Amino acid sequence: MATHRSCALWSYCGPRWSWVMRCCRLPGFRSSWPRGSLGARHLSQEKRETETHFGFETVSEEEKGGKVYHVFESVAKKYDVMNDMMSLGIHRIWKDLLLSKMHPFPGTQLLDVAGGTGDIAFRFLNYVQAQHKGKQKRQLRAQQNLSWEEIAKKYQSEDDPLGGSRVVVCDINKEMLKIGKQKARAQGHKAGLAWVLGDAEELPFDDDKFDVYTIAFGIRNVTHIDQALQEAHRVLKPGGRFLCLEFSQVNNPLISRLYDLYSFQVIPVLGEVIAGDWRSYQYLVESIRQFPSQEEFKEMIEDAGFEKVTYESLTSGIVAIHSGFKL
Amino acid sequence: MGTLLRSALRPLRRVGGLRGPAADVPLRGVRHGANGLLYPGHIPTSPLQKALLAAGSAGMSLYNPYRHDMVAVLGETTGHGALKVLRDQMRNDPEGAEILQERPRISLSTLDLDKLRSLPEGSLGQEYLRFLHVNRVSPDTRAPTRFVDDEELAYVIQRYREVHDMLHTLLGMPTNILGEIVVKWFEAVQTGLPMCILGALFGPIRLSAQSLQVLVSELIPWAIQNGRRAPCVLNLYYERRWEQPLRALREELGITDPPPCMSGA
Repeated sequence: MATHRSCALWSYCGPRWSWVMRCCRLPGFRSSWPRGSLGARHLSQEKRETETHFGFETVSEEEKGGKVYHVFESVAKKYDVMNDMMSLGIHRIWKDLLLSKMHPFPGTQLLDVAGGTGDIAFRFLNYVQAQHKGKQKRQLRAQQNLSWEEIAKKYQSEDDPLGGSRVVVCDINKEMLKIGKQKARAQGHKAGLAWVLGDAEELPFDDDKFDVYTIAFGIRNVTHIDQALQEAHRVLKPGGRFLCLEFSQVNNPLISRLYDLYSFQVIPVLGEVIAGDWRSYQYLVESIRQFPSQEEFKEMIEDAGFEKVTYESLTSGIVAIHSGFKL
Repeated sequence: MGTLLRSALRPLRRVGGLRGPAADVPLRGVRHGANGLLYPGHIPTSPLQKALLAAGSAGMSLYNPYRHDMVAVLGETTGHGALKVLRDQMRNDPEGAEILQERPRISLSTLDLDKLRSLPEGSLGQEYLRFLHVNRVSPDTRAPTRFVDDEELAYVIQRYREVHDMLHTLLGMPTNILGEIVVKWFEAVQTGLPMCILGALFGPIRLSAQSLQVLVSELIPWAIQNGRRAPCVLNLYYERRWEQPLRALREELGITDPPPCMSGA
């Protein structure tokens, strides 16, 4: 049972919330929940087999996909504003760190799944463009004896500023893709970008197609995470890299409490005030709690066939970047 | 740090008010149908969340006056005390008590539009329809109550919102910003809801100097006078008074004609 201290400290936040905390502290709660085997469920396992979690609610697996779709359909327009508000802009740093970890070189084929509004894709394009320019400069500097004609030709023959890199943004939600396309137009990204409507559990791509597969803040919304991981393994080329940026478990107890307080008390309020949508953001913070810990997720990635799986916790474990290779 | 916070929060815990049966019922862990919630659409909130909601909605309503849902949220989160007083006023009045028992709702589905249209000119029903038509509003745009933690009070505030259009008709105010402010002043005096008081005080911020002049010199004194004189407007069973001539109703409540500067609703 939860300690008295935590009960007293958090009771002013409302009984529902302290019930939540009590549940979260049951031994083995977090590790068993995603696999779906709480004590009571052993009794009627056949009937309850197709049930899963939607935040803290229990829904059937067929329902979950639809409900998640509706959540993102309604938050799409304010998605970026809300990200900035909720994370106080820190999500930009996380995404930049993901890119620097990826360290793509010109020519990389990236698949960004659940990439809706295009944050990762645009960062990738900028990164690769900067890399390509840098490479060009170095080449020119290395070749000291070029005539003016040859130098001018080098600059003119530049018809692919990306150096062969391509990014495919795949998302299951039309609204999110729409917003992403609008942003691309506004920011001037034209070349090297493709938008595909697809399901992470059943990607519409051939085997061995991509160098890097990323999924940022998307995999916890997938109904069957293991299937998504297997699909990731399938579409990557041998030697390809899997990268996942996702909310994870905080390792510091004090920060964990502050984080829980902020998540459950402030974020739904922000959602209501800014986006007029309490329930979607309630789902969001609940779904974060349902996601497995860093170690467990690492094991899931290994089960899908990836090797050299590592993870890096950021901001005391609020988010983690998991990386694996298809060898 | 834990003990310090704990001792600071102990008085809050008693004031919190969400203890009791709700504490043991898992409010979100069940499927549709079996809810431990007080009414459909209820979202239980802690005192901290209410405070944040009140502050956020107040700011957002000022920043973007078209966010009517924010005004509604402000009313729900700040109105507990005033709603209790209103509810007691309703209980003490025979017509009001009937309303509390029968819980009538004003919406396009409950209104018999044909019957209202067939009523004589000058009756409440006719004038109300004319108001809806001229200002191009519908009674269905009122947001449902979500953050009030008492089921009866949730109905009271819902009734207040649905009666708002009636007040426009009664006072003869259009739905432009000036008209809305006048109605807010009337409501502030009548109901004492903090949201009305805040709206009445801060609404005029976005007005031009000319409108402000008219507002302060004529409209506000008129609204306050009538607000004080009239009995509680929530005690009127409007659904039974459609045939009553508007003039007679105004006389009954002691509402004088609107100042000439405002075109009628």
